[in-house]
Amino acid sequence: MSKNVDKTIPVLEMQGVDKHFGGVHAIDNFSVQIKHGQIHGLIGPNGAGKTTIFNNITGIYVPEMGKILFNGQDITGTPPHRVAQLGIGRTFQNIRLFANLPVLENVIIAANKDATYGFMDALLKTPKYKEREKALEEKAMGLLKVVGLADKTKELAGSLPYGHQRKLEIARAMALDPDLLLLDEPAAGMNTEESLDLVNFVREIRDTFDITILMIEHHMDVVSSLCDYCTVLNFGKTIAVGTPAEVKADPEVIKAYLGGTV
Amino acid sequence: MFFQQLITGISVGGIYALLATGYSLIYSLLDFSNWSHGEFAMVGAYIAIVFSTMLPFPFLVAAMIGVAGGALVSWLTEKVVYRRIRSTGGPNMFLMIGAMGLSSVFQQAANLIFTGQYRSYPFKLPVSTIKIAGAYIGVLDLISLIITAIILIFLMYIINKTQFGLNVRGIACNQWGAKILGVKVDSCISKVFILAGCLAGVAGILYGAKYNVWPTMGNIGLKAFISSVLGGLGSVPGAILGAVLLGIIETLVSAYVSSSLRDFFSFALLIVILLVKPSGLLGVDVQDKA
Amino acid sequence: MLSVFNSINNAFCNTLGISSYMQGVVVLMCINIIAVLGMSVLTGFTRLFSFGNAGFMSIGAYAAAILTVRYNVNFLVAIILGALAAGFVAFCLGSITLRLKGDYFLITCLGFGECVRVLFNWTKNLTGGSAGFPGIPAYSNMLFSVVCTILAFFIAWRFIHSKYGRNLTSIRENEVAAQAVGINAFRTKRLSFVFSAIYAGWAGAIYAGYLMYIVPSAFNLGKSCELITTTVIGGLGSLTGSVLGAILVTVLPEVFRSMANYRMLLYGIAVVLVIMFKPTGLYGYKEFSLKRTIAWFKNLGKGKDKPAAAEGKEDK
Repeated sequence: MSKNVDKTIPVLEMQGVDKHFGGVHAIDNFSVQIKHGQIHGLIGPNGAGKTTIFNNITGIYVPEMGKILFNGQDITGTPPHRVAQLGIGRTFQNIRLFANLPVLENVIIAANKDATYGFMDALLKTPKYKEREKALEEKAMGLLKVVGLADKTKELAGSLPYGHQRKLEIARAMALDPDLLLLDEPAAGMNTEESLDLVNFVREIRDTFDITILMIEHHMDVVSSLCDYCTVLNFGKTIAVGTPAEVKADPEVIKAYLGGTV
Repeated sequence: MFFQQLITGISVGGIYALLATGYSLIYSLLDFSNWSHGEFAMVGAYIAIVFSTMLPFPFLVAAMIGVAGGALVSWLTEKVVYRRIRSTGGPNMFLMIGAMGLSSVFQQAANLIFTGQYRSYPFKLPVSTIKIAGAYIGVLDLISLIITAIILIFLMYIINKTQFGLNVRGIACNQWGAKILGVKVDSCISKVFILAGCLAGVAGILYGAKYNVWPTMGNIGLKAFISSVLGGLGSVPGAILGAVLLGIIETLVSAYVSSSLRDFFSFALLIVILLVKPSGLLGVDVQDKA
Repeated sequence: MLSVFNSINNAFCNTLGISSYMQGVVVLMCINIIAVLGMSVLTGFTRLFSFGNAGFMSIGAYAAAILTVRYNVNFLVAIILGALAAGFVAFCLGSITLRLKGDYFLITCLGFGECVRVLFNWTKNLTGGSAGFPGIPAYSNMLFSVVCTILAFFIAWRFIHSKYGRNLTSIRENEVAAQAVGINAFRTKRLSFVFSAIYAGWAGAIYAGYLMYIVPSAFNLGKSCELITTTVIGGLGSLTGSVLGAILVTVLPEVFRSMANYRMLLYGIAVVLVIMFKPTGLYGYKEFSLKRTIAWFKNLGKGKDKPAAAEGKEDK
């Protein structure tokens, strides 16, 4: 959001990142530059290494080679919770909510860094504690309003329908006040109408919070209408970079992935 | 003297290995520590006691019935309890809590039926020794060592060379994938529990013959747990290695340091090994997939 | 101070006509509640398992005993130091072992518990070894234990219902997601571990002042299992459930004296049944509320035509 960062340097820059699993070259010399406010798409067939890239950015994996810069700061090998605190929020391909907790609490947990009170404050319910907790709740409520779940705050996250769970995951990631949001297949399992909804929703999020988005997506129509740029991967290798229109016309991409269906 | 202790250690380790391999197999399939595994050894040992001392059966027959009993009880726990817990889809911790409850049920039931009295099998083997290379080796230790070795070799054969073994390894690797390929997962799990129960039964009878039979002897299941962790959870060769190591260390510490510090040393060793190699000696470090 | 303190308790109990037998039951109940509350925070809210809590209880008990008897420390200070000692040991142990995964952590806890027992047995000069440590002043009277329990419950309640508890619960629900929203899983788990150890130590210190004589074997693996059992029966993820569980587990055996031999067998059966059919226990993931209970009873009266309002959603 409105942090004091130089908006001319790329929000995310990856330089020659490499990762192996056993004998499999999961990502091979991957580089990308994402400028402030862009929506960047990451596309490619299953097993192309897209989620692995997310896991490298968020510190779940440590790359064997290469560098990852976030707002100009080197975050290669930083542990996941630090990466999140620095301002990278993410969602998961297979939704990972705190299923047995209410919707509101899911978001409040993510806003944890705003809970700047000590144990004694919590124990004695001091004014400071009450004030901070109230602010947390208001912030969470605000985010839930944006994603349209404000009337479901007391329901358990695990009991929400699929589409709402995806939105809740985004709201939760937004509670970190991130500069960069990583969306892992947000339109998975949605029909055309729902994915069109999602396109508008993601754009709205970007505009409301003035953030940068890197998303993995299979639906080509979602990518075309949403992304400013995209990178196409196949077997860990980058085979094309450019605007959706450019990428769609790339013969290599058509051969590897689109197969002439688009 | 040292040689003598070493043989005893390996023989005790062998008994642990019988338990640890079964335990490790179950862990590899279900990702859960079967806390009640040691109780199958206790059940087997008691059944053999009943048939050899209270009923007029020759010891060998009684022992076989005991082994079958261990297998039966192991199979029943899977069929009745664990399958039900798995079907609810809760975390694996629930399986372990269930196993802990079962363990206490078995121990208490044995205590009520047989009282806390120490019982022994009707033969004199434990005290007889033979002299090999200048050291007195317990005949029982030798017999136990030979039986264990034969069974473990047979077990490795089953796992590595048979279709059943292949299925088990397949499920351990990827349960869902194995199911897709037509492996009958539930029946395979049942068979593993039967196999593990048999191994535990043998271990229980050998242990009972060496020491005695009492209601809480199932706590040797704990040694199986330690052995498997030492060797790497879910790895059968690791379990054998861990068990033999543990047996030797326990015997040597008892002989040369102090028997009251025996467990202290084994746990200290365990923690040190885990610090150096967090997944055990032969374990594979698996990264969580996000 | 101690004598004044005990006479207040006696006056109180005499006025209400509470027999010394009843007082004993209440004290034991309080000890169980405090230890189980600690277990509940660890297992019910963080989904970490510890077979070492009996070990932490023994640290609290021995620390309090040694301080009061050998060094004439005031018993209140001794209890606090005992609890903190347990917490400190947990901090050190957790720093090393909490980086290990699931069952590997478990076995080190178990090993820790056993090692502590062996050490107390072995250090005869300090602890009296297996013969026990006698002559501890009788500071744990009923009134004091009850006050401690209320305080313990209050602290645990506030702990769970603040950011600390939320963080623990997020680890229970999904560790990867918790880290992805900036929660340091390792430190959060360690906090939970230390909290639970402090409670165990606290319970142990009260235990020492009640029995006035402690032996290492009282804090064996069986005791740790009993704590877990009680937590599970009471309900994972519920503090009130844990209290209820601890009360049941202490009071029922007293009521059914004739069944004393079957006590542990029945515990075992209860745990197996609970985990098979209602894995969240009596009050899983929910706290006791008077309103819901009344609603539940009302529905009972009306027969079964309406689903009970008290039933929330089952977790999956």
